[in-house]
Amino acid sequence: MHLYHFSEMPYPYVPPEAEEAHGGLKYFLPNRYYDPVRGHDLYQRYLDEYELADELGFNLMVNEHHQSAATLHVSATLSAAAVISRTRHGRVLVLGTPLPHRSNPVRVAEEIAFLDNLSGGRINCGFVRGVQGETYPSNENPARNMDMFFEAHDLIREAWLQRDIFNWEGEHYQYRYVSVWPRPYQQPMPPIWVSGTTQRLVEWTAEHGYTLCNLLGAYDDTANSFRLYRRAAMAAGLAEPGPDNFAYLSLCHVAETEEKAREIGRKLLFYLKAGKQRLGAAIPPGYSSPAAAVAAMRGTLGAVRKHSFEELIEEGIALVGTPDQVAAKITALYERTGVGHLILMNQAGEMTSNEVRDSLLLLHKEVMPQVADLGRDWKEDDTSWRVDNDDQPVTPVLASAVS
Amino acid sequence: MPITTQRDRLVFFHDVDVIDRAPGALGRLAEEFEVTVPAYPGFEGQFDVLDRGWEGWESAADLAHHIRRSERWMSGDPVHLVGAGFGGWVALELALLAPERLASLVLVAPYGVKLFSRMDRDFEDVLLLDADEQITLGWADPDRCHGLRMPGYPADLSDEENEVAFAERETIARYAWKPFMHSRQLTRWVHTIDVPTLVVAGDADRLLHAGHSRLLAERLPRATYVEIPDAGHYPYLEQPELFHDALGDFYAQVKGA
Repeated sequence: MHLYHFSEMPYPYVPPEAEEAHGGLKYFLPNRYYDPVRGHDLYQRYLDEYELADELGFNLMVNEHHQSAATLHVSATLSAAAVISRTRHGRVLVLGTPLPHRSNPVRVAEEIAFLDNLSGGRINCGFVRGVQGETYPSNENPARNMDMFFEAHDLIREAWLQRDIFNWEGEHYQYRYVSVWPRPYQQPMPPIWVSGTTQRLVEWTAEHGYTLCNLLGAYDDTANSFRLYRRAAMAAGLAEPGPDNFAYLSLCHVAETEEKAREIGRKLLFYLKAGKQRLGAAIPPGYSSPAAAVAAMRGTLGAVRKHSFEELIEEGIALVGTPDQVAAKITALYERTGVGHLILMNQAGEMTSNEVRDSLLLLHKEVMPQVADLGRDWKEDDTSWRVDNDDQPVTPVLASAVS
Repeated sequence: MPITTQRDRLVFFHDVDVIDRAPGALGRLAEEFEVTVPAYPGFEGQFDVLDRGWEGWESAADLAHHIRRSERWMSGDPVHLVGAGFGGWVALELALLAPERLASLVLVAPYGVKLFSRMDRDFEDVLLLDADEQITLGWADPDRCHGLRMPGYPADLSDEENEVAFAERETIARYAWKPFMHSRQLTRWVHTIDVPTLVVAGDADRLLHAGHSRLLAERLPRATYVEIPDAGHYPYLEQPELFHDALGDFYAQVKGA
């Protein structure tokens, strides 16, 4: 099992009354609530934590959100550059660049190639559609989001694969002369990751052989999503997908005692605060199919946000407890889903740097050794998720994940 | 369907967030005109049409091109065209495309033309606002609101009705997301629309920047402007009698000219 350290780099100093007045911390929060001096300190502190995680053997994940106090990563590629310069060993997972919200896919191809060269091939390159509310900061048309995602991907892929200048006159992007410098260090391209649960996106990811990431889904829903992936990959003539094709993101905090882990780990719930967004921001027009939009409005999609802390721990969506408890949950996650990459949201909200560091050290010392071998010899494991063992129909609606 | 040859044809391009096919003002106009209210692809159940090719449309101009090719009234005698809100934008685009088809043009608080500075919001964000906000901004008296088509409004919509409402919001986004609710090309050429025109707006319309419709009337070479008191963005629904009177005066002038 490959473990990743992740922090969204939140800005935890917004007064509650401001958060209330603006419907949450995201997209529509005026920046008068941001203090640059405190922000500078936060950036240094979060990068210090990435540096420690790298020294302890973790891989590292960065992401991006916009106009948000919940996340000070403003560009996943910029954050990756900062993390690369502070670290030496871990892979740097960019998960991800929200392709429809970036107006220039060729620039994305260049930036990823730059990072891959800078790091000597440590980049895992994630592409995402961008969460719903980001539609407003980017002002890109949500009704075209999925189509833009696919076309931007196709263009970036060609930019990495072609060895001569080429022309691109697409539906959404037009360039007359494309030939990116540098080319990626990992040839022909870095590993591609995609997060999502919609059937079309899961099948598309499978057909390309990319790694599929589930964010905070219930284990059963995650397993369903991965089963859909395996079937689509096999139908496309690919080899049976192994753990390397799957990733999962959970909340995480470990401590010497369960009580202490829960006391501190409760701060991770900051990450799940949805705020009181308008319906048009929570479900931008055309971002989802009408049926999925209704499910989201009814609270079926993204149900995780409504789970209690105790439920999240019980379900293993929050890996919170003693090292042995957390290792057991990770083992259960692997056995249920066949996942090979586990991203740990080790920090959120007001969790202090010492609390993050203590948890990272304990994870390194007592959890990592217990889970390191999970999935290494997956073809020898007795698992339910192997294609030959899976004779149940796949439920097409994958409901619980955050996005 | 009987065609009364004595009556002129009036074509009404409806708005997209509020659709009422039998509004009071149109009811009275129907006594004097043969009234047609065209359906738009992507609204009112018109989804699986044109092999879904309409999903690639990006502006009300695309809709105007479609109407020009497909509507029977685009041949024969010129028609009296009325467009409200988004329908006003469609009417402006059609007036650019086929001015010879228009006997006259009535624009009711139309979208489509950007008139104020780049940091001004010409049009409120009807794709983001919640229903209560939209009703407050769009109606002089919120209690008069009817015909509003939004997901979750009213709260007892069935899942099927909500799916239709979401699908219609998606259609609006396809037509009008960026630039929001207007066309830069139309804005450049709107001053060339040489058709007898009446611009009507409610005095309590807060979905448009204050003075937007009046300023638009000044841009149009043959337009007059009438403001309907105690009415918001939908004066044909809130004040049907006053709206009808305003159009009656206008049509008398057009016919007398």
